[in-house]
Amino acid sequence: MTARAIPDGADPAAPALSVRNLSVRFRMRGGAHVAAVTDASFDLAAGECLALVGESGCGKSVLASALLGLLPANAGLDGAALLDDGTDLLTAGERSLARTIRGRRIGLVPQSPAAHLTPVRTVHSQLAETVRELTPVPRKRTGLATRAAAERAAFPADHLDRYPHELSGGLAQRAATALALVGDAPLLLADEPTTGLDRALVERTADELRRTVDEGRALLMITHDLAAAARIADRVAVMYAGRIVELADATRFFGEPGPRHPYARGLLDALPERSFRPIPGMPPELGDLPAGCAFAPRCERADALCGTQPRFDGRTACHHAPAEDPSRA
Amino acid sequence: MLELSNITAGYERGKPVLRDVSLAVARGEAVGLLGPSGCGKSTLARVAALLHRPDAGTVVLDGTTVHDYRHRAPRALRTTVGVVFQSPRQSADPRLRLRDLIAEPLKATGRRIEIRERVDELAHAVGLGGDLLTRGAHEVSDGQLQRACLARALVLRPRLLICDEMTAMLDASTTAALVAAVEAYRRETKASLLAVGHDQVLLDRWCDRTVSWAAPSAA
Amino acid sequence: MADIRSIRAVRPVRDIRPNRSTRTLRVGASAAVMAAVVLAVLLVPPLVQLDEQAVDLARKLQPPSWQHPFGTDDVGRDLLLRCVYGLRVSLLVGVVAALAATLIGTAVGAIAGAFGGWTDRVLMRLVDTFSSVPHLLLGIFVVAMFRPGVWPVVVSVALTHWLSTARIVRSEILSLRSRPYIDAAISGGASRRRVAVRHLLPGVLPQAALAAVLMVPHAMWHESALSFLGLGLPAHQASLGNLVQSARGSLLAGDWWPTLFPGLLLIVPTLAIAGLAGAWRDRLAPRRRSELML
Repeated sequence: MTARAIPDGADPAAPALSVRNLSVRFRMRGGAHVAAVTDASFDLAAGECLALVGESGCGKSVLASALLGLLPANAGLDGAALLDDGTDLLTAGERSLARTIRGRRIGLVPQSPAAHLTPVRTVHSQLAETVRELTPVPRKRTGLATRAAAERAAFPADHLDRYPHELSGGLAQRAATALALVGDAPLLLADEPTTGLDRALVERTADELRRTVDEGRALLMITHDLAAAARIADRVAVMYAGRIVELADATRFFGEPGPRHPYARGLLDALPERSFRPIPGMPPELGDLPAGCAFAPRCERADALCGTQPRFDGRTACHHAPAEDPSRA
Repeated sequence: MLELSNITAGYERGKPVLRDVSLAVARGEAVGLLGPSGCGKSTLARVAALLHRPDAGTVVLDGTTVHDYRHRAPRALRTTVGVVFQSPRQSADPRLRLRDLIAEPLKATGRRIEIRERVDELAHAVGLGGDLLTRGAHEVSDGQLQRACLARALVLRPRLLICDEMTAMLDASTTAALVAAVEAYRRETKASLLAVGHDQVLLDRWCDRTVSWAAPSAA
Repeated sequence: MADIRSIRAVRPVRDIRPNRSTRTLRVGASAAVMAAVVLAVLLVPPLVQLDEQAVDLARKLQPPSWQHPFGTDDVGRDLLLRCVYGLRVSLLVGVVAALAATLIGTAVGAIAGAFGGWTDRVLMRLVDTFSSVPHLLLGIFVVAMFRPGVWPVVVSVALTHWLSTARIVRSEILSLRSRPYIDAAISGGASRRRVAVRHLLPGVLPQAALAAVLMVPHAMWHESALSFLGLGLPAHQASLGNLVQSARGSLLAGDWWPTLFPGLLLIVPTLAIAGLAGAWRDRLAPRRRSELML
């Protein structure tokens, strides 16, 4: 891990991102509320990758959008999301988000890179524009800096003059990653970076993201692809019905003793390399959540206790989580 | 059940996306077709579903040599094959409620009497319950919509099911649930399956044999 | 612990769209104007038992007053009343002609898009041919073949305005035709006709309806232009174009009101319709869950 410049005013011990009790509500027509994210808390340190996993509609993309200030107008926020210098992403105005945070403090690795790139301009011109915008490099040396930025994401220099549609899926992903890395942001946010890619490309993308983490960045990766998460993450957060129900080390989560929360166990068991057995039923509607544990209706261990909301103890939110083995805790 | 011989197909003249590909699926067999994205396996799936006319090669479906494609293909032959595509958003008519989406093939083939019974039965089989059937496509999640698309593909009791990257956008649990629904249908009807995908682990687990795109003519 | 029921007052998120209140104001004003216009042309003629043709030479060319809010014309007819009658005729011609043009355009565009091949080529060349003739010239040619009256004007407008709708509908159908849901319908045994009627056409109807609404002002202006040239409605019949045309002389004499008010009645509804259509277009994009990111 290389040493990285820490912005002024930053507490070196502070995590790169600290999310505290984040809740997002959408007001719907007719006065109804949709609880897209409820009470999410986690820390993310420099040089660490946290994978936020869950099925589509569990609220993980909403969480990402909240961090970037990209929620629609009918959303309401609560809680805090602090960067290492104490900036709260949720209260920062659109102006400071655009000028000092997006691209500079948080880099976004998009879901569909081909759609993220402007189709009528070459990779070089887009990268150069971002370099001019985000770095103090003098105009004369922009070309050099652009090539360096491409190199950082392993984008081949001889492809810089191509248009996005002339790139393969893998190269388009690298181009988008290169754009995200230009501002040298200490925190990267990847929203489903591997969706729609084939297995070989998923692995390559994951490895490249892992490399940027090993250089000292913090990466929050949002995905439903457990295999990609297993390949890259240091820690795994599982989201269900808008709540984080499990937060565990990746080695523990994917290996022994496995996840603590029955939903996370079910998700892993559904993988074709494991028992390939689906979790019965479907996730609840975020606009119509049950009073107690949202997973209880699908859970074989559910009992009367599950009628009340389990508290998230920093590891899991389940009344029936197995007792911790002190040697592993 | 399905024999594709020396298929060459593409969308622009002189630029085939696949060349001289052969593949056979026996009656009751489940074949996985594995390949990287953009290799033309989806085009092959569309040829097999009689949705795209190949530039060269022959397609024999259920003992009948196919001469016409899309609307020109005889309706009975067309409906022998059920298809499920990768993106449920793109493959569902956005104006239909899920119930109408599933019932659409029955209406199109003049079998309205069966709607009530078949739709409820299939909704149960793919795990769509509650008021979901009365919702529009934009009011359900990707996973729920894909369940409805699978139900639509099964509603005419096809003897061959083609799943083109059916689960690529879905989470592990929904993937397992959809595959289980397909397998339950196949156990009941002895239907054949052509599953196209890029996840070797999934296809190996799901299918009787998996053909890799690098050597599909060997099949 | 933030429970759903006990959630504290959550902070509203910045609205990055253009100012919400001006947008609401614009839509509200447009709706109010259109409601007033429609009510006026529907209710005034039957309720107010006045003769818009009543000549009163003693009161000719009077400027606006309480008795005649829009003033009177060169033979002493009340201009407010004549403007309402004129607006009624212009609106009627506009709506009927826009509907007819939309029907023709949608049919041609849908057939061209759904069948493709030669049908498409022949129909679209036909559209190109029509487009290459200036609208007004073609319109004049059509009305010149008939006696002056409402229907020749409607036909003239319809024949010159269906082209853009045909293009919109065709391109929309072409883009829908390549969607996997059309493949799924074909595989489900749907006939060519069923695909066109049940899956393609409903997808383009909102676009076509929007085009029709936006076409109403076009048609009104076309009618006014024809009437202004003396080729539209018979001169004695009040239409906005006729009113402006017959008042040309008095404008030179410094009497501004006989041209101003009919002109305003042409411009204001045009803006109101554009305002409403704009709001409608914003809502047309189907609200998907993905836009809520759920």
